[in-house]
Amino acid sequence: MKTTRTLKATGLVLIAVVLGLLTVQGSYALWNKVATSNAGTIQAADFNVTLAKNLTDKPISMTTDQGTAATLQLTTKPLGVVKPGDSAYAGVQVGNMTNASADFKIQVLLGAPTITNNNSQWPLAQYLSIKAVEAPSLAECGSALFSPSTPASPAPLEIAKGANGVFCFQVSLAATMPATFNGQAASISVPITVNQF
Amino acid sequence: MNKIAKGAIATGVGIVLLAGGGGTLAVWNQTDIGTQGKISAGDLNLVAGTGVWKNAKNEDITIGSYRVVPGEVLTYTQPLTVTLEGDLMVAHLTLTGASPVNGFVPADVTTSTTLTDAAGVTVEGNTPLDKDHDGDFTATTTFAFRLGTEGRSSVNATYDFKDIGYMLEQQTPNADIVAPPVGP
Repeated sequence: MKTTRTLKATGLVLIAVVLGLLTVQGSYALWNKVATSNAGTIQAADFNVTLAKNLTDKPISMTTDQGTAATLQLTTKPLGVVKPGDSAYAGVQVGNMTNASADFKIQVLLGAPTITNNNSQWPLAQYLSIKAVEAPSLAECGSALFSPSTPASPAPLEIAKGANGVFCFQVSLAATMPATFNGQAASISVPITVNQF
Repeated sequence: MNKIAKGAIATGVGIVLLAGGGGTLAVWNQTDIGTQGKISAGDLNLVAGTGVWKNAKNEDITIGSYRVVPGEVLTYTQPLTVTLEGDLMVAHLTLTGASPVNGFVPADVTTSTTLTDAAGVTVEGNTPLDKDHDGDFTATTTFAFRLGTEGRSSVNATYDFKDIGYMLEQQTPNADIVAPPVGP
């Protein structure tokens, strides 16, 4: 008997809940209409800056697949050893290969060169000096672009979308280098920073 | 009288009684037609027209092939046709699906959408719209790619507006729009 009353009470509660839900539902059942915007998808451009050391090799991306800065080994000309009082030249071509739809200019800045002696007992770095200038092309990177008044650091290079710019480096070995340093070598690293301009 | 005669008389009396009862239907009566007239339902509808994306130079762009860079602001303008018919119609016009699929770094972009009526007045989500608002509205969405975006943040990222839409929803008529009672 008690079970029957309980079941009846449960039934009443369920009916009340259903009625309550229906009542609440009913309050939202007014007219409504939904429309989609169909605004599509916005996609950001890439920031694709390329580096090339000559006109024959395929340029490399300034950023590796891992997201780190790439390194490009330049080739000096003339090839071979540099005698005291002489200079060697090397150029790098920077390309602004973005797929941006709007104007997208970049600014290329050269950082201070770092010279590392390959043999710490023979610190060749003290006899090396580096200058850089903007060049019309890699092919024109040479002594004609430099003079004694050329500053060590060039002005930032501005490159438009789809265009290239070239920096030419002059590495000079001081005429005062002692003969005891003959055959020594040093590594030169020049950081390049590219900003959206 | 024999039984047959008595039966015939009783039947005749019954018929006469039936005829008398019929006579009671023939009293005065009058009919007239109701003047309730015809009830017409109102209407509520929302139609989104074709929107147009523009870049910061106010040039029309095809968003599917456009590639945005930091510092740009893109604007999407879309006409909305709102139908609001009904003397006591009240509705709200709101944005829906405000959680787009956003592959950008959140700090790199800001987006906003505003709804304005034909007079250029901003319509908030709780702005009551009645039959006088029946007509054209404009939805304007802006997408700003922050100029100070650092490194290569959000390169090649996508921002999908596919879930963004609008909803016109009738509200329960309230006392604000019900005509006040006629005074003495």
